[in-house]
Amino acid sequence: MENFELLLGGFGTALTPMHIMVMIVGVLLGLIVGVLPGLGAPNGVSLLIPLTFTMDPVSAIILLASMYWGALFGGSTTSILFNIPGEPSSVATTFDGYPMARSGQSTRALTLAFMSAGLGAFVGIVVITVLSSWAARFALRFGAAEYFAVYFLAFCAFIGMGSASPIKTAVSLSLGLLLSTVGMDTVTGSLRLTFGIEALLSGVSFLVVVIGLFGIGELLATVQDGLKFRGVASRIDPRDVFKTMLELPRYATTLLRSSAVGVWMGITPGGPTAASFMSYGLARQWSKPGEKFGTGRPEGIVAPETADHSAGTCAMLPMLALGVPSSATAAVMMGGLMIWGLTPGPMLFSTQPDFVWGLIASMYIANIVAVVLVLATVPFFAALLRIPFTIIGPMIVAICFVGAYTVANSTSDLWLVLIFGVVGFVFNKLEFPLAPLVLAMVLGGKAESSFHQSMIASDGSLGIFFSNYLVGTIMVLALGLLIIPQSLKFIQYLKSHKNADSAA
Amino acid sequence: MRIKRLHVEIATALTLAAVGALGSTGALELGVSWSESGPMPGYFPFYVGIILIIAATASMAQALFRMRMGSAEMRETFLEPEQTRRVLSFLLPMVVFVIITTFLGTYVGTTLYLFYVAWRNGGYKPLIALLVGIAFSIALYFVFEKAFQVPLHKGPIEEMLGIY
Repeated sequence: MENFELLLGGFGTALTPMHIMVMIVGVLLGLIVGVLPGLGAPNGVSLLIPLTFTMDPVSAIILLASMYWGALFGGSTTSILFNIPGEPSSVATTFDGYPMARSGQSTRALTLAFMSAGLGAFVGIVVITVLSSWAARFALRFGAAEYFAVYFLAFCAFIGMGSASPIKTAVSLSLGLLLSTVGMDTVTGSLRLTFGIEALLSGVSFLVVVIGLFGIGELLATVQDGLKFRGVASRIDPRDVFKTMLELPRYATTLLRSSAVGVWMGITPGGPTAASFMSYGLARQWSKPGEKFGTGRPEGIVAPETADHSAGTCAMLPMLALGVPSSATAAVMMGGLMIWGLTPGPMLFSTQPDFVWGLIASMYIANIVAVVLVLATVPFFAALLRIPFTIIGPMIVAICFVGAYTVANSTSDLWLVLIFGVVGFVFNKLEFPLAPLVLAMVLGGKAESSFHQSMIASDGSLGIFFSNYLVGTIMVLALGLLIIPQSLKFIQYLKSHKNADSAA
Repeated sequence: MRIKRLHVEIATALTLAAVGALGSTGALELGVSWSESGPMPGYFPFYVGIILIIAATASMAQALFRMRMGSAEMRETFLEPEQTRRVLSFLLPMVVFVIITTFLGTYVGTTLYLFYVAWRNGGYKPLIALLVGIAFSIALYFVFEKAFQVPLHKGPIEEMLGIY
């Protein structure tokens, strides 16, 4: 009940005309970012952070979060109308969304997507509301060793549970950690790994890296295959919207199952992309017989969209309560929090209740705002995609570079964007995951200082990480996540080989 | 010879291992052992660098192993000539854009860049392409400098015109 009162207080913060305006602007910007190729949620948020330096943190986080919701919705729009996923997490939506839109039911497909997305997000926010102060209170018992263990758990979870190759995930993580050590060391105050280059003195900003990796890298991947937009008519008929809404209760089981998948994947570092694929797969396995999946089946839209959005919202929970983001966008937002001078983690709940509960309350409102806005503006955003790429492409590039410049007013960052753009392109092609790199860059400094502190406390013995039940459990969990999936795969591999041998 | 995915996998892994080595050797200078106040500043980057070298080497080994197992994916051409052309025609103007922006400022760089791509790659008439560039630069000015009060990088031309 205590949470409920706090939430009401949060609504008091969030429901001001100013903040509603901020939400609308955020959602609209998010929709643009989600619709345009090359501008995804992580780098959209990165581009916006320098503009929030002068805002008060509550408005700033509401703006960024609303942009995130908008981007999630925008990604689904292009998946359905153009068969181009605007976000990696909306790839699964193309499987059934585009076929349904092509069969002349684009309003139905879009409404199904937006409504189930909104419901998924709602479930996610309820989970956050219920669990957040409990999680924060739990985390208050954490010392330096526990914190390091939690960061370690996050890294291991990426390696063990991520969809990419574990080795490549490890490469991304360690590269991100290494990059985070460049510049001034926060613990000892010495300059590190600058190699006499002046531009590196202040370190490598994760915002610049995100803009390069996700912005320029994704654009290069887009141009490589040439752009072919084969859009579907994008008129929205209000009567169809209403009819589709009445249809929704039929997919209640799919909705519930997908929300559960999303909540789980959002809290653990599986992330929205993995959640949407998993949920789609489950829906295909479990649903009643009918038309085949991939031909425009409603469950095929409802399942990934619900999971995508509930995972996206739930990713905010570990970020707020523990200071461990579980998606690339949440990582960037957390970096923003640190830039505004806030420390994400359990203390935030006791020191900045207005901020935390204002944000949580704003999620309820912003998602409603997003559903309404996205339905109202679909034709406009679909038109945006019809602008020839030779015009809109360079504009996106220019915005990326301008955004990177505003991070620190330094032209050397422009070169970093270029370099990381190429890195992002190559990593994309070779299937190195990018999210772990960003997460490692944001968490690197904190992971190091908590490691440092634990080492000082224990006089250099690693035994401190197993010195009590709490930290020991987290470490065992982390090592389990690291080792068990790999050994299972290995055993399966051996078995299949044995069978092949005995069959031969 | 066509560049296969395997070659790029190996080149990327070697580059990443080199980055790891660079980090570790750089950390060596800072001291990677223990002092009285705990780990020395190079401790953490040193071991992270070592992990990066190991992980990168492992990814190279994996690529070679998959090649030996007859993986078709590793034999794929990394970029078809047509794709290379597309990527370069997008990337090279971007590099020039960065150089011009560094010396002449954001607005000149952006205008010229949009103009060039719309004109050469998009096949628009030079005048229209130029208008697109100018209009976008003006929009940037109002959004960043006026609405958000964030100054963008300026060059000698803005100074001459007295725009700050």
